[in-house]
Amino acid sequence: MRYLLEPFGSPFMQRALAEALLLGAVAAVVSVFVVLRRLAFVSDVLTHTVFPGVVIGFVVAGTSGIVWGALVFAVLSAVLITVLAARSRVTEDASMAIVLTGFFAVGVVLVSRQTSFTSDLTAFLFGRILTVDRQQLVVTAVIGAAVLLLLALLGKELLFRAFDPAGAEARGYRVLALDLVLNLAVALVVVAAVRAVGTVLVIALLVVPAAAGRLLSDRLAGIMLIAVGTALLAGWLGLVASWQASVNHGLRLASGATVVLVLVVLYGAAAAIATVRKVRA
Amino acid sequence: MSEPTGPVLLRFDHASLAYGRVRVVEDVHGTVHGGEAVALIGPNGAGKSTLLRAVLGLVDVVSGGIEVLGSTPARARREVAYVPQVDTLDAQFPVSVGQVVLMGRYRDVGWLRRPGARDRAIADEALDAVGLAERKDDRFGTLSGGQRQRVLLARAIAQQPRLLLLDEPFNGVDAVSQQALLAALRRLQDDGAAVAVSTHDLALAHLACDEVCLLNKHQVAFGPTEATLTPELLRAAYGGQALELAGDSVIVAR
Amino acid sequence: MAAVVAAGVLAFAGCGAGGSGRAPGGNAELDVVATTPVVADFVRNVGGDRVHVVQILKPGVDPHDYEASPADIQAIADADLVVKSGVGLEAAWLDDTVSSAGYGGEVVDASRGVTVRHGNGTDEQKAGDPHIWHDPANARIMVGDIAAALAAKDPAGTAGYERNAAAYDAKLATLDAENKAEISTIPVAQRKLVTNHDAFGYYCARYGITFVGSIIPSFDTSAELSGNELSDLVAKIEQTGVRAVFSESSLPPKTAETVAAEAGVQVVEGEDSLYADGLGPAGSPGGTYLGAERHNTATIVKALGGRV
Repeated sequence: MRYLLEPFGSPFMQRALAEALLLGAVAAVVSVFVVLRRLAFVSDVLTHTVFPGVVIGFVVAGTSGIVWGALVFAVLSAVLITVLAARSRVTEDASMAIVLTGFFAVGVVLVSRQTSFTSDLTAFLFGRILTVDRQQLVVTAVIGAAVLLLLALLGKELLFRAFDPAGAEARGYRVLALDLVLNLAVALVVVAAVRAVGTVLVIALLVVPAAAGRLLSDRLAGIMLIAVGTALLAGWLGLVASWQASVNHGLRLASGATVVLVLVVLYGAAAAIATVRKVRA
Repeated sequence: MSEPTGPVLLRFDHASLAYGRVRVVEDVHGTVHGGEAVALIGPNGAGKSTLLRAVLGLVDVVSGGIEVLGSTPARARREVAYVPQVDTLDAQFPVSVGQVVLMGRYRDVGWLRRPGARDRAIADEALDAVGLAERKDDRFGTLSGGQRQRVLLARAIAQQPRLLLLDEPFNGVDAVSQQALLAALRRLQDDGAAVAVSTHDLALAHLACDEVCLLNKHQVAFGPTEATLTPELLRAAYGGQALELAGDSVIVAR
Repeated sequence: MAAVVAAGVLAFAGCGAGGSGRAPGGNAELDVVATTPVVADFVRNVGGDRVHVVQILKPGVDPHDYEASPADIQAIADADLVVKSGVGLEAAWLDDTVSSAGYGGEVVDASRGVTVRHGNGTDEQKAGDPHIWHDPANARIMVGDIAAALAAKDPAGTAGYERNAAAYDAKLATLDAENKAEISTIPVAQRKLVTNHDAFGYYCARYGITFVGSIIPSFDTSAELSGNELSDLVAKIEQTGVRAVFSESSLPPKTAETVAAEAGVQVVEGEDSLYADGLGPAGSPGGTYLGAERHNTATIVKALGGRV
């Protein structure tokens, strides 16, 4: 047990843990909707479309500008994606892919004009969870609270739409507006995640927790609980692993990526349990 | 079916429907009173689903009009319930039977609030009306097709509607579920609601419906069941897809 | 679950806040964190037994772009002194890392007093070329800065530091002389250098070598040559008669190989790669500053037709 707690004696590890737990919990809740609505690809698109906003924010206003740039592009992307999904002439996949790569390329071009190009790029893509400061924690907490509030207030309507879009439409719900809300929630999680795990790794947080939950439970409440639990556990164990490896074994494991790796391992464990259950039944 | 009927709850006034520029159904004309059931009958692609969606206000009426509960479809929607075909839904979705039925209460609960005790009571009653109260906590997908269709009807009943629209609810449904569906619909009609159901099943139409609307992109006939389900009219509706047997019997292909 | 974790974290916030307060390693008086292998080497030579050095950047790692590990941050948090190479070499990551570690002490800039070579092109060039140590004269200034900083932090050890610094300074002077001698054996017309990135500006300036160009046209390792720039470089190589293209220990040699092939000249790579941004593995000949610089000079001189 000491092994699991000793990394968190220093303030920087405590902040990293707080960030991982906050982010993980919020992303896990959103991931339930992402998985139920089969929005993994759309979420991936959103992680790429928020990226140029990150770069522009950084270019204009330095590190503190990142969140604002990301926020603007998050809203823009959510609207664009929602509209595209509703109206696409080309198949939905293809038009999404075009948007994904186009936006991402814009971001890379912009960041390559910076002199500290590779450092910035890897920081935005993979996060720097160990240098998260108090301000970033506040940003994550505020965005996280906003997302959770949004989902709590509109949860039942989002559930209805996810289960029966025709029925929801017949009932008078504007399906497009509900879809926009969910896409916005995903985009906001990406914004909160930029400094911690980066835009490339956040997709794992937006999909894997609920996927694991789905393997183990048939009920919405169960899936939600397992998703959040898995994300919290991955955050904690991932940071422990990368700290222990670095401090006691001289092995470099990038912290953000290690959290994601642990998350995937936990998914594997869930899959194993699910298989055993099925075989026994 | 000669009981006194209620007020006109659904009126088609030479209504023609279109998706954008394309007209899909022409000249539907007829009325449905409270307590009555009308069957929408016609081959695939005839416009039955479109007509139902138009009653919900989701399809443009380009000429004539549709009056629902004395008002426009959009304004009347609160009291109109729609039961989709059960195979449009994902059987793997992690939601329980009880949760599905409760969804019928959401609109009345409103935004930002949670269903209360009264809503749950109404939902429980609705589930009971279709005979599935004991399956309330089971996952929706674990029920048979017919049972799932009954749950969707219960969801509609929980809405406490005055007009009920059903899209081919009897497709592939077992006999027991069929009986349960018919019984529940009967009860609703007894309470004064009107029902519009699209179906291929002529026998059921005879059994359960007061009126029939024969459609094939345009209205072929709209009238009392006995008078409308004649071989000539059926032939006219189904075109070459009707097969005549000895005497006046007609078999129609889907 | 979250409550348990939160409680655990809060419990540790209490006992962790005061810093770990551990004694310096072994008999050492000072815990010093040095960023680059070169700076670490200087600190070890000046500090001797009194100083325990933690080197952040391992051999072969690119200093311009680095993500600090938990051990790095922990080391900085526990350090008595942090020494950096300066002139923006660690700019991309050091400040964030130091503030995250909660280190409140001095970050010693070993480049203080060195005349920085500026470009006049991009912003980055205006900020200056950080590869100051390749000129032994600059190295001597850096060693002086380090000695002063160590003495200031640990006055009791001043005598030792000054003694060590003087001894090492003599070695640096010897290196300088040797470099001059060896380079003078290169025919004048061949004293032209093409490297992987623009890291040898000070070296070239000191020893009268013409810097023809570099594959990566910047002090930083991140930019890419455009098609035009590449063919311009190849043309320049052919025109000026440069005999070899040199790749570096911490960068992949692919582009250097391509340019060399295009221009029909030799590419110096693999074990012969120059140490541009760092040093070789500890214990290897290139593992110390003196060893690496000797290797660089020998390699350059041999490839350009001089005698070692």
